[in-house]
Amino acid sequence: MSTRENILGRVRDALKRKVSPQDTASIDAHIAAHPLGMQPLRDWEPELRFRARAEALASTVEKVASLQSVPGAVARYLVVNNLPTGGICWPSLRKLDWIGAGLGMEDRPARGDDLVGVTGCFCAVAETGTLMFLSGPDTPAAASLLPETHIAIVEAARIVPFMEDAWALLRAERGSLPRAVNFVSGPSRTADIEQTVTMGAHGPYRVHIILVG
Amino acid sequence: MRVALFVTCLADLMKPGVAFAAIRLLEHGGCTVEVPQAQTCCGQPAYNSGDRATAIALARKVLDEFEGFDYVVAPSGSCGGMVRAHYPELFRDDPATLKRIEGLASRTYELTDFLVNVLKLESVPGDFKGTVTYHDSCSGLRELNVKAQPRALLALLPGVTLTEMNEAETCCGFGGTFSLKFGEVSTQLADNKCGHACATGADAIVGGDLGCLLNIEGRLRRRGDLKSQVLHIAEVLAGETEG
Amino acid sequence: MELRSNEFKARAAANLGNEKLQKGLGLIKVKAVVNRANAVAEFGDFETLREAGKEIRNRALADLDLYLERFEREATARGAVVHWAENASEACRIVVDIAKQNGVKTAAKSKSMVSEEVGLNDALIEAGIEPIETDLGEYILQINDAEPPSHIVMPVIHKTAEDVADLFHAKHGTPRKTDPAALTREAREILRPKFLSADMGVSGANFLIAETGSTLIVTNEGNGRLCTTLPRLHVAITGIEKVVATLEDVSTLLRLLPRSATGQAITNYVSLHTGPKRLEETDGPQQFHIVLVDNGRSKLLAGEMREMLRCIRCGACMNHCPVYQAVGGHAYGWVYPGPMGNILTPSYVGLENAVALPNAATMCNQCGVVCPVKIPLPDLMRKLREEQMVRGLKPWTERAGLALWGWAAQRPALYALGTRIAVRFMKWLGGSEKLIHRLPLASGWSDGRDFPAPAGRTFRELYKERRT
Repeated sequence: MSTRENILGRVRDALKRKVSPQDTASIDAHIAAHPLGMQPLRDWEPELRFRARAEALASTVEKVASLQSVPGAVARYLVVNNLPTGGICWPSLRKLDWIGAGLGMEDRPARGDDLVGVTGCFCAVAETGTLMFLSGPDTPAAASLLPETHIAIVEAARIVPFMEDAWALLRAERGSLPRAVNFVSGPSRTADIEQTVTMGAHGPYRVHIILVG
Repeated sequence: MRVALFVTCLADLMKPGVAFAAIRLLEHGGCTVEVPQAQTCCGQPAYNSGDRATAIALARKVLDEFEGFDYVVAPSGSCGGMVRAHYPELFRDDPATLKRIEGLASRTYELTDFLVNVLKLESVPGDFKGTVTYHDSCSGLRELNVKAQPRALLALLPGVTLTEMNEAETCCGFGGTFSLKFGEVSTQLADNKCGHACATGADAIVGGDLGCLLNIEGRLRRRGDLKSQVLHIAEVLAGETEG
Repeated sequence: MELRSNEFKARAAANLGNEKLQKGLGLIKVKAVVNRANAVAEFGDFETLREAGKEIRNRALADLDLYLERFEREATARGAVVHWAENASEACRIVVDIAKQNGVKTAAKSKSMVSEEVGLNDALIEAGIEPIETDLGEYILQINDAEPPSHIVMPVIHKTAEDVADLFHAKHGTPRKTDPAALTREAREILRPKFLSADMGVSGANFLIAETGSTLIVTNEGNGRLCTTLPRLHVAITGIEKVVATLEDVSTLLRLLPRSATGQAITNYVSLHTGPKRLEETDGPQQFHIVLVDNGRSKLLAGEMREMLRCIRCGACMNHCPVYQAVGGHAYGWVYPGPMGNILTPSYVGLENAVALPNAATMCNQCGVVCPVKIPLPDLMRKLREEQMVRGLKPWTERAGLALWGWAAQRPALYALGTRIAVRFMKWLGGSEKLIHRLPLASGWSDGRDFPAPAGRTFRELYKERRT
């Protein structure tokens, strides 16, 4: 008998199953229905909640009218904060007019020494002020992780109230999960030394969110 | 109404005045108080030490002695919690006894809980004057939800000012046999409690469980504090602080 | 990790006088406990959320075999390789074999308690593979001669910034600095190239999702994301009990876990991994292995400790435990300290190897009321005490004392006589001070306390007199 069979056998014994059940209806039904669990009271408007929460988690947020205004907003943010005006962006954003805004954005995979990374996102979750990223050829995961500054572009219309709404959107639009789903809530941080919260542990030191819409 | 006093073994041995104070308060509230004479212990020391057989034997004894009363009242959240929260578990495989035990459990109260929620006392006979701070004993607080009751009763005494200590809900480190087995750790926790209590500057540290109170007083005295009083809530409310 | 749980009593007592440790532990009360309380209050109906969390974990455990098989099927369909490990040595062998087959020289690790439990680092080192702990706390411990963690969420809670300053200065050869932000930056700069060059990333999994075959990790630092994104291999090692049914179920649990652990509404990063790198992706591991470890868990499922398997490893029980707050995690002598450890350690390593732990609690139930999945921790400790009694694992003095007292307590006349003698003796011991400085047979009590002597007569004696 393999280890797998031994372990599952002991689990079945513990659960007092006489035979290995062919009938998995009990769990299939629950998974198929995937009922909602407990959500907090929703007494807020999603976009306002998202902004307030994201800012409370030390992200910065601004809003622009359209995608065409994004490169200008990125340029202003970088200049005002005395940050480099070049970096990498998701391939999905290569068509934006970065050069016109005075920026040098390369649509290549992130390297360890890249300082600025610009990404979109799949959607955002209002409850916790969280960005949701799906990995893919045009939306690589490392772009939101390796650079010290992460700028994320979020369509205001894609702010959903709860994480469960994000799963519903994912099921509807993609059907299945990509390799990596990353929820990001502010800059990377640690409190390991004397429980003192410190930004920029291994990921970005700062996260800037540009809402579009 | 006929109320049986569950004296508790610690009051019986160490502070008889607490039991007399409890009787005085219950009679003040109009109860006919009886004290079953064969009572010894609720069995919690055995239960928490893993001696289930002895715990069951003592629970049966308590059941036989206390079953016939309208209510059973104990000046202790620990013993009250043993009956209410743990006795039913001891008889989970004995449906006939379980039914009786559940009846007993539902009629068993910690003293302050009974005074406030059953008797709905609006006055108490005591005349204590001074500032007090209240230690919330773990069993009473977390098994019986005793928190507001003692404070409501203290508020009936015009001469009493309650000053809350920090970490009032944190364990004093007694824990029954824990205080013997892990004396150093237990002493440290008692010391923390004394520190918080003394920082209030209260004249008396008051609580509802003698186990905790002896532990706190024991540490206070070793720290050299011979002045601060350590009193059971029944003594403060009844005015019988001697005994 | 070396098992030292039977030394609990001595190590706990020693730690009471360790000033640095006490400074770190003191922060738990003013930070972790306060932060949790604020987060719970801000959420609203946290009690209903706890109940929901308990139900979700119970549902998964009630059909654990089916959920594990479903998880395996979904994960495999996405290209992950699922391995099953009976025990610690098998788990290590599986990971070492994967590493060897793929020519791995270095492995970047994010925090995993199961990897501590099975002793993975030692196994990797023995096989010539260098493990690199990348969680800041775990990294500090690793460069301090592989010191064990003292908390499951805050592994270096026992260290001060000064300690870390000395350690970094000595090990990195850099100018000494004490600012936590500067120390964090230094670790980041040292670890970044190691992430980039590591052949393998090792992570744990906070949850396994049966619906999608995904592993889920929560981190704040981002090291978990780096370990699972950059190296060409990703190995996730976790316990079989971590499975939950659906993405919705895990969403509910994610409202409980960070609030209970650190008082956060959500951790900085929540990452789900479903299979290896897909076609045309520019990052992600080429292979994704998931090692499901039993190591005693199926045995727990069969017994009275089953409820312990609901545990989601938040650490709230230890943060709120007065004993843990006083003695720290190392005293518990194994991977899991505090109330959860009082149950898991004897369950996994044998009751006889952790005799003190189920008794090392005052039963105050502070742990039980904060547990996000409502594990009745004191009740489980008590059941282990019962097992100790049955198996004769308690000292004879305790057994004899209990037997004598229990025997007497069932004989009222004898008990009355005995107590009358006892209180008179104690009155005499108390003398004019009315304080007993040394209790016979109970020196543990009186080493640090003076017992207030009784007045010399029992209540029942006095009551009989007054009523007649």
